[in-house]
Amino acid sequence: MRLFSVTVLSCIAAFSLLAAFSLLALHSFAAEGELDALRANVPLLEEPTPEPLYRVEDRSLRPVREYPMQPPTIPHRIDNYQVDLNANRCMACHARTRVGETQAIMVSVTHYQDREGNYLGDLSPRRYFCTQCHVPQTDAPSRVGNTFVDMSDLIRGSRQRSE
Amino acid sequence: MFRWIGNVLGTFWRVFRSPSGYFSLGFLTVGGFIGGVLFWGGFNTAMEATNTEQFCISCHEMEANVYQEILPTIHYTNRSGVRAVCSDCHVPHNWTDKIARKMQASKEVWGHIFGVIDTREKFLDHRLEMASREWRRFEANDSLECRNCHDEQYMDFTRQSPRAAAAHQRGLVEGDATCITCHKGIAHELPDMAGVHGWE
Amino acid sequence: MTLTRRDFIKSSAVATATTAAGMTTTAQAQNIVTDAQHTQLKWAKAPCRFCGVGCGVNVAVRDNRVVATHGDMQSPVNRGINCIKGYFLSKIMYGEDRLTQPLLRKRNGEYHKEGEFTPVSWDEAFDVMAEKYKAALRDKGPSAIGMFGSGQWTIWEGYTANKLMKAGFRSNNLDPNARHCMASAVFGFMRTFGIDEPMGCYEDIEAADAFVLWGANMAEMHPILWTRITDRRLSNPHVRVSVLSTFEHRSFELADQPIIFTPQADLAILNYVARYIIENDRVNWDFVNDHVRFMEGNVDIGYGLRPEHRLELAAANARDSAGARDIDFERYREFLQQYDAETVTRLSGVPKQQLDRLAELYADPDIKVMSFWTMGFNQHTRGVWANNMIYNIHLLTGKIATPGNSPFSLTGQPSACGTAREVGTFSHRLPADMVVTNDYHRRFAEEIWKVPEGTIQAQPGAHAVLQNRMLKDGEINVYWVQCNNNVQAAANLVEETYPGYRNPDNFIVVSDAYPTVTAELADLILPAAMWVEKEGAYGNAERRTQFWQQMVTAPGEAHSDLWQMMEFSKRFDIEEVWPEELLDANPEYRGKTLYEVLFRNGQVDAFGLDELNPEFDNDESRYFGFYVQKGLFEEYARFTRGKAHDLAPFEVYHRERGLRWPVVDGQETPWRYNAQYDPYVEEGRDIHFYGQVDGRAIVYAVPYEPPAEAPNEEYPLWLVTGRVLEHWHSGSMTRRVPELHRAFPQAVVYMHPQDAQQLGVRRGSEVRITSPRGVMHSRVETRGRNRMPRGVVYVPWFDASQLINKVTLDATDPISKQTDFKKCACRIEAV
Repeated sequence: MRLFSVTVLSCIAAFSLLAAFSLLALHSFAAEGELDALRANVPLLEEPTPEPLYRVEDRSLRPVREYPMQPPTIPHRIDNYQVDLNANRCMACHARTRVGETQAIMVSVTHYQDREGNYLGDLSPRRYFCTQCHVPQTDAPSRVGNTFVDMSDLIRGSRQRSE
Repeated sequence: MFRWIGNVLGTFWRVFRSPSGYFSLGFLTVGGFIGGVLFWGGFNTAMEATNTEQFCISCHEMEANVYQEILPTIHYTNRSGVRAVCSDCHVPHNWTDKIARKMQASKEVWGHIFGVIDTREKFLDHRLEMASREWRRFEANDSLECRNCHDEQYMDFTRQSPRAAAAHQRGLVEGDATCITCHKGIAHELPDMAGVHGWE
Repeated sequence: MTLTRRDFIKSSAVATATTAAGMTTTAQAQNIVTDAQHTQLKWAKAPCRFCGVGCGVNVAVRDNRVVATHGDMQSPVNRGINCIKGYFLSKIMYGEDRLTQPLLRKRNGEYHKEGEFTPVSWDEAFDVMAEKYKAALRDKGPSAIGMFGSGQWTIWEGYTANKLMKAGFRSNNLDPNARHCMASAVFGFMRTFGIDEPMGCYEDIEAADAFVLWGANMAEMHPILWTRITDRRLSNPHVRVSVLSTFEHRSFELADQPIIFTPQADLAILNYVARYIIENDRVNWDFVNDHVRFMEGNVDIGYGLRPEHRLELAAANARDSAGARDIDFERYREFLQQYDAETVTRLSGVPKQQLDRLAELYADPDIKVMSFWTMGFNQHTRGVWANNMIYNIHLLTGKIATPGNSPFSLTGQPSACGTAREVGTFSHRLPADMVVTNDYHRRFAEEIWKVPEGTIQAQPGAHAVLQNRMLKDGEINVYWVQCNNNVQAAANLVEETYPGYRNPDNFIVVSDAYPTVTAELADLILPAAMWVEKEGAYGNAERRTQFWQQMVTAPGEAHSDLWQMMEFSKRFDIEEVWPEELLDANPEYRGKTLYEVLFRNGQVDAFGLDELNPEFDNDESRYFGFYVQKGLFEEYARFTRGKAHDLAPFEVYHRERGLRWPVVDGQETPWRYNAQYDPYVEEGRDIHFYGQVDGRAIVYAVPYEPPAEAPNEEYPLWLVTGRVLEHWHSGSMTRRVPELHRAFPQAVVYMHPQDAQQLGVRRGSEVRITSPRGVMHSRVETRGRNRMPRGVVYVPWFDASQLINKVTLDATDPISKQTDFKKCACRIEAV
């Protein structure tokens, strides 16, 4: 808020406009609340209105992985999917033997390997609880961006440079 | 002994079949009608009362187990507020089947009195048996109780998620699946699914 | 680019073909890049940045950026798998608001407490900071200086902080955030065994027949160990899993014995199990007679609140909380009689049948049993007792220190063991389990550190909770927070944390990679390098020390915490920090800077740059001109060798996937106290608890006592706080990874649907959570991963926009000084 008022005052005095811009460029932060985007820039002792409960995306569109070993996120809802000692709802569709009927994607071959890397006749129990690695995605907006660069972009860059 | 019973029944029958010399035909007709209405009303009220969720969860076994399990599911709260109570899924809606089910329920009263599933452990031990019975019933009647609300005739697949639409097209429209084939364990937790088709 | 003959022929053929088709192309025309020059990634190993499990990760680097991470197949901890957080490690350093310059609160070009954060040079930052430190030293002496560190510091960062504070500034007001996390476990170990950290290791999992989770939700908080337990349970149907908690969470998915108990009643259940073992004649007498003795602890010990609090005034033994006296077995047995089934069921709500089934896992001599606990026991006003009580059970049955029989204290942070505990960054500790209160220990440390006798103060400094109180009271005036987010993490934010940070008498410095709520309340923010932007070392929960190399450079002007501390020490002449008497007695130190005394001592600077691995950068060493990390590690390792904490030589750890101390003659020690594995066990003994002088571990008679606060008419609900799988601690890293953020975007209040109905709220309703200490707004969640019993609500603390520690109570275990974040009373109303 204070950053905003600084800017407003600067507008009134035309010559200080430039100064205000240079302040912005230097990322000068007003006091409390301006810094932590994860707190939605609300001062600590005030209570922001909590964000709504966001919807889980359910479009079943396959996500692009940022590197081959990254576990894909789950592109559908999994509300009340039971995975426990009695049943594994995920594998009822994604198991090798089930994908013909369900047309779901078979879990990766690594999921049939034990700790030593041997292939087992069925799902490796160490991979039994799917949500330890795979999570659904809500449509919550990002509070802070991420500048991670996909290796393919770096490879493309290096390939272009070498040509 | 038998003779005595025969005598009593004989006397009753004689009185019952002889015409009334006391009440008017009008009284008997109207009274019979009113009596019939009262009886039927009472019977029906009793049937309705035993169909309410309140009645079902008045038993600890239901309140502590299946009722707690349905609370976080879509059959309890959802977008439109149309919800299922126990009888919607577990009591047939047509009269003869309903009466048959109610008669079977006497066994549940027995179970309640003798504490067949009065602890969580006992309930879990019987869960497979109880669930299997329900699955068999749904399979036999083509998931009739599901279809009282959800009929694929009236599903707009474009309003469903892509994978639901595809599965319904494949299973219900083109295939010979019925609702319960895929939708087991949607309102209550599943028993041990070892050996159940579609789960292994 | 050099072409082999084969390449040449291939490319000529393509060139001919494309010329014929009238197209132009480069030498390689596929849509898939196959040229190794372009596709090669540089891979190196590192431990995961997050929890105490300490999974191995392979990190791929290209063009000075981390581009991929995956589970290390060679790591014995995780054998190729990571949890969801671990799989997204590659993105944690790239939140777009990384701090890249020091920021100082300024008004009119000068530092001002109410000023605005303004970018300054490191020189200016350190000038202002040094001036504040020197003023505090002059006005009040060393006790006015405080530092709050982390179990996420690298080993050498923790070691440097320890040395800088305790020998340099001569202040013991150094504590790590591990105080919130592990302190009760530490005191539990010290009281029972006289030496810190678990005797067992992760291989116990593959040998055990039963697992008991005491309050721990490993499915979410220690996911990769959970995969090992799942593997064991599902591969071997005879294995049993018992899960105890105050609400139903994801670990219950694997539970053969699910047990929900009333908060605080774990103490009663623990004593019930001990009583069951004794009354059913299942004591392992051979073991008890040889290896165990009995003590009775002081009771009515208070709740670690401010001394003037009514609960402290009413407590008989608030001043001698750790006191205990010797008893015999018969007295212990008699003591346990009060924990009969009826009493324990009344306290805990757990039926006798469930209690007996649980107890039988321990009592049955044919079942090898592993117990796990973390914050459920440790964040507990009787946390040390709970730790002692679980050891009681394992000691009575002799189920300890052999493969599969293992009371296993889990750790929360990646180096809570390696840095906070082994290095001794607690306010009362020195490296290798030594303490400042012991004359011999201080002297030992002073000798290794090459500082004069009497440099280290004999009084323990302020622990985490006391530091916040002292900041509020104006007793600590300069305060450096590194590698943690304590404004978000500490209990009772409004009353006890906030006032200290904004106290006009105080100067607060926060070093972090990202702007956090703690940084917001600072006066000076220093941008920090993180994880593989520096060479590092962590120690995990099974005593495994793991190293990694610097793989990329930190952004902008960010520097590691190590660099910051060493560079800052250059600004002090020794005469400015040590008293005249000390210098008069040791004139050879005169004329030196603090930096020279601490780091140019012929030990820390003993290794040259030629020893660096040429494959990797090392910003600190290049800057200071010697192999800083090696020098610090080798000096530190001298504390450990021959003291049953032995660390291997520096280089070994860069080769190995970690080693579990004590490492003697190149051999790590998977199970301690056991002659088959542990070289410290005396000749001729099978089991030897050598941490105690008589070689006997101690069984403690300690009771159930009520919690500091329980629901009442005005505040009718229990509030439990904790973490979620997708976020690490305060979320400053994981919430900047879009996939993790979208998976769990904000904190919610988990509650029973019928509780919600009764309050007139529903899933998604905005509610106000109120305690006598503060208010927080959140939204109701009645579905999802946790199933709450009536009367209990759970709120995770990762969300900076929902600071649940405004509501929590700063009651601590009086022995360990660790806060109980799991129990306080609250009220919930619709907004």
